[in-house]
This record gives sequence, structure tokens and C-alpha cells, in this order.
Amino acid sequence: MSSKSTPATPEGGIETSQGSSNPLSRKLNKILETRLENDKDALEALKALSTFFTDNNLRSRRKLRGDIERRSLAISEQFADAFSVVTDQLDSINQDVEAMNNSCQDMTKRLELARDQTSDLINKTTDLQKEGQRLDMRARVADAFLAKYQLKPEEARVLRGTRDGQLQENFFHSLTRIKQIHNDCKVLLRTNQQTAGLEIMESMALHQETAYERLYRWTQGECRSMTGDSFEVTLLHCKAMEALQDRPVLFRYALDEFGTARRTAMVRGFIDALTRGGRGGTPRPIELHSHDPMRYVGDMLAWLHQASASEKEHLDALLRLASAQSREEEIQEILSHITEGICRPFKVRVEQVIVAEPGPVLLYKLTNIHKFYRYTIGQLLSKEASLLATLEEMEEFAQKVFFNALNVKASKLVDKVELPPADLGPTGSLTQTLSLLREILTSHDSSVVSMDTRQADFAKILGCVLDPLLQMCSLSASKLNPSDMAAYMINCLYAMQTTLSLYEYTDQRLEMLEAQVDAHVDTLVNEQASFVLTRVGLLQIYSIAQQHLTTEGPLSSVHGMDSSSVRDGINRFDSFLGSPDSFTMPQIKLLHSTTVREKIHKRAVALICSAYELLHTAINHPANDYTEPGSIVKRTPDQIKSLVS
Amino acid sequence: MAAGPYNYSYIFKYIIIGDMGVGKSCLLHQFTEKKFMADCPHTIGVEFGTRIIEVSGQKIKLQIWDTAGQERFRAVTRSYYRGAAGALMVYDITRRSTYNHLSSWLTDARNLTNPNTVIFLIGNKSDLEAQRDVTYEEAKQFAEENGLLFLEASAKTGDHVEEAFLDTAKKIYQNIQDGSLDLNAAESGVQHKPAAPRSNQLNTDQQPGKEGCAC
Ligand SMILES: Nc1nc2c(ncn2[C@@H]2O[C@H](COP(=O)(O)OP(=O)(O)OP(=O)(O)O)[C@@H](O)[C@H]2O)c(=O)[nH]1
Ligand SMILES: [Mg+2]
Repeated sequence: MSSKSTPATPEGGIETSQGSSNPLSRKLNKILETRLENDKDALEALKALSTFFTDNNLRSRRKLRGDIERRSLAISEQFADAFSVVTDQLDSINQDVEAMNNSCQDMTKRLELARDQTSDLINKTTDLQKEGQRLDMRARVADAFLAKYQLKPEEARVLRGTRDGQLQENFFHSLTRIKQIHNDCKVLLRTNQQTAGLEIMESMALHQETAYERLYRWTQGECRSMTGDSFEVTLLHCKAMEALQDRPVLFRYALDEFGTARRTAMVRGFIDALTRGGRGGTPRPIELHSHDPMRYVGDMLAWLHQASASEKEHLDALLRLASAQSREEEIQEILSHITEGICRPFKVRVEQVIVAEPGPVLLYKLTNIHKFYRYTIGQLLSKEASLLATLEEMEEFAQKVFFNALNVKASKLVDKVELPPADLGPTGSLTQTLSLLREILTSHDSSVVSMDTRQADFAKILGCVLDPLLQMCSLSASKLNPSDMAAYMINCLYAMQTTLSLYEYTDQRLEMLEAQVDAHVDTLVNEQASFVLTRVGLLQIYSIAQQHLTTEGPLSSVHGMDSSSVRDGINRFDSFLGSPDSFTMPQIKLLHSTTVREKIHKRAVALICSAYELLHTAINHPANDYTEPGSIVKRTPDQIKSLVS
Repeated sequence: MAAGPYNYSYIFKYIIIGDMGVGKSCLLHQFTEKKFMADCPHTIGVEFGTRIIEVSGQKIKLQIWDTAGQERFRAVTRSYYRGAAGALMVYDITRRSTYNHLSSWLTDARNLTNPNTVIFLIGNKSDLEAQRDVTYEEAKQFAEENGLLFLEASAKTGDHVEEAFLDTAKKIYQNIQDGSLDLNAAESGVQHKPAAPRSNQLNTDQQPGKEGCAC
């Protein structure tokens, strides 16, 4: 729409300009200078012109201006038309915008109104939220407090337990909780929450009491049922005892209950072992051996030992957690109680055995086996235990009856003294008594008791047996002549010596016996020497020579001491020198001990030799006035000595 | 302390027999304490020890009675055979005399225990190979002829000690399973602790699989 006409006229070049100062020339110049090809507008205008200016003639040239103006008008009208639509639309938009503006303003106003109205509410809400948070916090604190200071329903339920009185594992957890809470309350008491603290403590204390009561009931029931051979000490039992430690009285009651149950069980077990044995008879019931006292009593004692050990183990197991303090004393006390029950049935049986007087040897063995078990079981039980007292009592009883039996035997020995037999050997009662002694001492050697007690026993037993024996021997020998008596006594003493020498702790007794033997040996030595001298007829001569004093004059002039009498005697002495053995006294031959026999022989020979020497000296002495003394005593004492020894 | 060891289902009673000095007490000590006692005094009468073992998943408490080998205690120790579920008969491989006495020990064991008592022959001191006086083979044959279990062991090194005690228990347990050992017999040497809770007992379903370590 820019085809507005340009100011250029087609006729412009005709009126030429004359000078540059002339406006016309200037104008012309300007036109000439115009470079049409560079003027876009002009080009456009020309292009538009060429569309309708087809005939270049005057007429058309005259009409050109009008044509152009008409065309311009048409275009302007067209433009105005088109633009009026736009104007209309803009008006409508304007209206819309105004309407929008109005409603926005309205809205703003309403919003402002609303804000004014709600601010109060918002404040309130904020307040409420804050309050809510605060309350929430309090709730949490309250929960925490409750969790710390109250039992959970489950925990409380466990404490109350079930109707059948069962105890659950978590019972102990609840119990610990109560304790903990009770303890924690002490903190509360130090704050300003004292009332709460006190109340909670009170309620916990109440809980605790019921809990302990229930726990005790349960434990008591459990303990009461532990009467079988095989019962189980469970972890729960141990925990129960551990928990009950806080109530020493209940703890002790429960323990007593256990003790009583086990005591019953032990008695029953003992009676079963005695009378029933195992099923099918193996092992056999102990009483089946009651005819064999050692086995019978030994089996009973071994049973007691093993049962005591087992009971101790049970107790240790039960109390293994209850270690707040050393329980050794209590264990011992209960153990004493448990083992007390079997004392009576045991004692009755042992007494029966002892009263039946099974003989000194068995009684002695019974004494020792009691002594042994008193030591062995004593390692398990305390000294105060009745069972140990019973063992001691039985030991003493057996020992008393043993010594009684020995004493009775011994006094019987003395009461009816046997005459010595012709062979001067020990009497039957002596041999019997010695073999009894041997049996006793042998059983002692093989006994199970310690050395010290053995030694003490020995002295007593030996005294009990040997002294009456010696007494009996002396009594029975009293009617014999000295040589017989000496030989008999030596034989008896020798028998005792050989018996004793086999055993320990007999040295003192052996020494004493030896001294007695020596005394009798002296007698026999003298008797033997005189016997020889008498047989050769020198006794008289010897005793005169021995008692003769030089002041009484020469020996040869004493009656019976003349040369020929003396020579006869000395000559007969040669027969002794020829066969000394045939000159031995019969009593010496009867001696049992070869050593004693040889000893007597030697000493008698020595005595005889010294008698010969005395005679030899006397006869050779000039004061005694023997003619040719060398023909009377032909041999020197040394020759004699070498001949007979 | 672990609660485990107390939860056992059986008690087996053992007796250890054999000449003096063969190492009975040392074997027991090695088994219960896992230590060797070099200078062990002669046993006076009878001593005892315990240990809990496991056989086929069952906890078993062994109550072991160690007897004196000295002749003077023979009468006393004989009373301890009754009711033994297992008898360990020990000789010393370096002392022939202890082996020669086995038949007398065996006679005692047979006469004084149940027919079911498991008898285990142990040749002790196997560490002293240089001083060996009894061959393995002859002892093995003796054991076979008499139906005894047999091992050579050393209380000093601990060699085969566990095995001897455990194998005995296994055999006893097997006898129980077979039914050849009557548990109800009062003096079978085995006490049974029922595994199932009794009516008045802890209800264990509260804490399954938790046995033995609750403290
Ligand atoms: N080298 C070696 N020595 C052992 C072994 N076992 C035991 N001994 C030694 O043998 C000796 C006797 O052992 P004990 O266990 O006392 O014998 P025991 O059979 O109990 O003897 P009593 O109680 O008298 O019946 C001790 O000095 C031990 O050191 C072993 O396996 N090897
Ligand atoms: Mg020993």
C-alpha cells in the first residue's frame, strides 16, 4: 500500500536550468543527479505505475494524476475498512481487560477481607500445634516413665503365672525388672517426684512379695518331687535358687525341702540296694551276702560312699548359680541332713553283724573298714555329719567287741592252764592263740587304714594277747624242773618271736621276748655245763677246787682230791672230748630254735673249758702239791678249747 | 558358667580297675582335666571324677570311680563294681605282670557287674614304646577272645584316652537303644533323665533351641 506518488514529473527535463544558482537548475541538477536505480521507493512506485499505465498518450498522461489519486483513495478506503475491524476488536479486548481488571480488584478486595478474617484462626492453629507438640513430648516422657517404672502387662502376667502353678523362663526377667524398678525409685525419691516414687515402690514391693511367694511355692513343689533315683536339676531350678537368695528364709526352706526329699530318696535307694538289687537280680541285693560279714558291710559302706558323692553333686548342681555367698556350709548342712536318714537302717544291720560275734579277726576287719570309710566319706561330708558319727560309733562298737573277744580268749588261756607236753613244745592253746594273732596282724597289714592308726592298734592288740600268753606259759611251766622249764619257756617264747617278727611295729615286744629267752638260755648253759661235769665225775672236783683257798693247805690233801681221783675224772673227761654231742642234755635237744641251741652249746662249752682251765691251773700249782701234775692233766686248756670247738 | 553341662539326659557309672601303677588315676585325670599328673600318689581306696560328654546328640554325665590297685584294697574296691555300666580294665604295656593279672581282674569284673556292663581293655603308657613288654597283637587277641573293646592309650600324651572313655559310652548307649540294657533296673549303672518335660516342669516351648546358655 505504499504506492504513493513521487514528486517527480515526467515533463521535468524540458525546462532546463541555466545556472547553478538558479533554483531551477539546482532542481534539475538534483534530478539529474538522482540515481533512480538506487531509489527503491521510486522503483516500487514505477513498478506499481507500470501495472495500470499501459498506454502512454496525452490523455492518459493527463488522466494519470487523477488515476493515481483515485487509486490512492481506493487503497486508503480499503485500508480504513480493514482497520476498522481491528479497532472494533481492540475495543472488545479493551472491554474484556477492563472487566478482568474489575473482577481482579474485586477479588483482591475479597482476599484482603478474607485475610483479615482468617489471621485469628491461623494464630489459634499455630498455638494449637505448639500445644500439640508439647503434649506429644509429655506423652513420650510419660511412656518412657511408665516403661521404666511399671511392669508391662506381659511381665505382670508372667509373674502371676498360670493356674497350674507352672513357672516360665521369663519369670526371672520380670522379677529382675521389679527389683530394678524398685531400685530406680530411689532416684525418684531424690527428685520432687517423691510421691510417685513412694507409690511405685510400694506397688513393686507388693509385686515382689507375690512373686517370691510364688517362686517359693514352685521351688518347694519341685524340690519335694525330687525323690527319684533319676531326677533332673534343671536350669530353672538353679535360677529359682539363685533368685531365692534374696529371701534367705525362703531359700533355706526350699533347700530344706530338697534335703528332706533327697533324704527319703537315699533311704529308699539304700533299702532297694539291700533287698532288691537290680532288676533281674543283677547286681544282687546286698543282703544276699549277709552271711559274709565283710562283703555285706563293705558293700553297704561302698554304697554309702557313692551315694554321698552323688548327693553332693546334686546339691552342687542345684546351687551352682546361687553363689552370692559361699554355700559350702549350707551344702554341708543339707548333706548331713540327707545322709542322716540312712544312719538307722545302716546301723541296725551292722550292729546285727557285730552282735553275732563273727570272731576276733572279722571284728577286727570290720573295725578297720569302718575306720577306712570314716576317712573316705569324711572327705565328702563335714565332721558334724551324723553319718560320720554313726560310722565312728560302729567302728568303736566293733572294736570294743573285738577286744572283748580277745580278752575273753586270753582270760580263758589263763583260767585253764594246760600242762606242757612231753616234748616241751608250745601247748595247743598257745599255737592257736598265736595263729589267731597272726591272722589279726595279717589282716592289719592288708588293711586299708593309715600307718599311724595301725601302730597304735598294734600295741594294744599285742598287749591284749601276749601278756596273758606269757602268763599262761609261766603258769604251766611252774611245776617243771629248771631245765625243762627253761627249755619249755624258750620254745614258747620262740614261737611268739617267730610270729611277731613277721610284722611291723613289734620291735619292742621282740626285744622283751629276747631278754626273757636270754634268761632261760643262761639257765640252760649252766645246766648243760654241770650236766657234762657231772657225767664225767668232775663236778665235785671242780667245785672243791673252785672254793679251795691256799691258806687251807695243798689241794691234793683235801678229801677226794688226791691224784688218782683227779686223774680218773680228767680221764673220763676225755670221753666227753671224744663225742661231745652225746653229752648234750635232752632238754636242749628239744629246743626248736637252732640258733638258741648253738648258742647254749657254745656257751656251755666255754664254761666247761674254763672249768678245765681252773683245774689245770690248780693241779699245776706247786702249792697244791700234786706229784707229776703233767701226767694228771695231759692237755693244756688251749688244746681242750681247740678240740671241742 | 554355661548352663549346658547340666542339661544331660543320662548318668553312666564307670569303674576303672587294674594293677597298681598302671596309670588308672592318670587316665582319669587326663580325661577329666586334660592334663598329665606325673607324680600321682597311689590311690587310697576309691576316688571319683565326672565329666559330661555327648553321644549321638545326647548329653551324658560320666561318673567315674577310680579304684586303688594295691592288693590290700581289693576287698574294698570290689564293692564298687556293683551297678557300673562301664568298666575300664587297665594294664601297663611296659610291665608284663600287669597284663598277666588281667584274667583275675576280668573274673572280678564279670562276677561283680551286670552281664551288660561294657568292659574296655586299655593298654596304657603307649608312649613308652621302647620299653614295651606286651605286644599290641596279643592284647588285641586277648580282648577279642573275651569280647572286650580294646585300645592302647597314653595318659601322658592323651593319646586314645578320649576314645576309650567315649567308645565305652557309645557302646552303653547302643545297648540302651537296642533295649538290651534295662534302664529301669535300679542298678544298671545308668540313670535316665527324661528329656520330655514332666507335668510340673518348665514349659520349654517358650524358648526353643535356647537350652543351655541362658546365663
Ligand atoms: N610314661 C607314662 N607314664 C604314665 C602313664 N600313665 C601313668 N604313668 C605313670 O605311672 C605312675 C602310676 O600312675 P597312677 O595313675 O598313679 O597309677 P594307678 O593305676 O592309679 O595306681 P594305684 O592308684 O596305686 O592303683 C605315675 O608315676 C605316672 O606318672 C603314661 O601313659 N605314660
Ligand atoms: Mg590311682
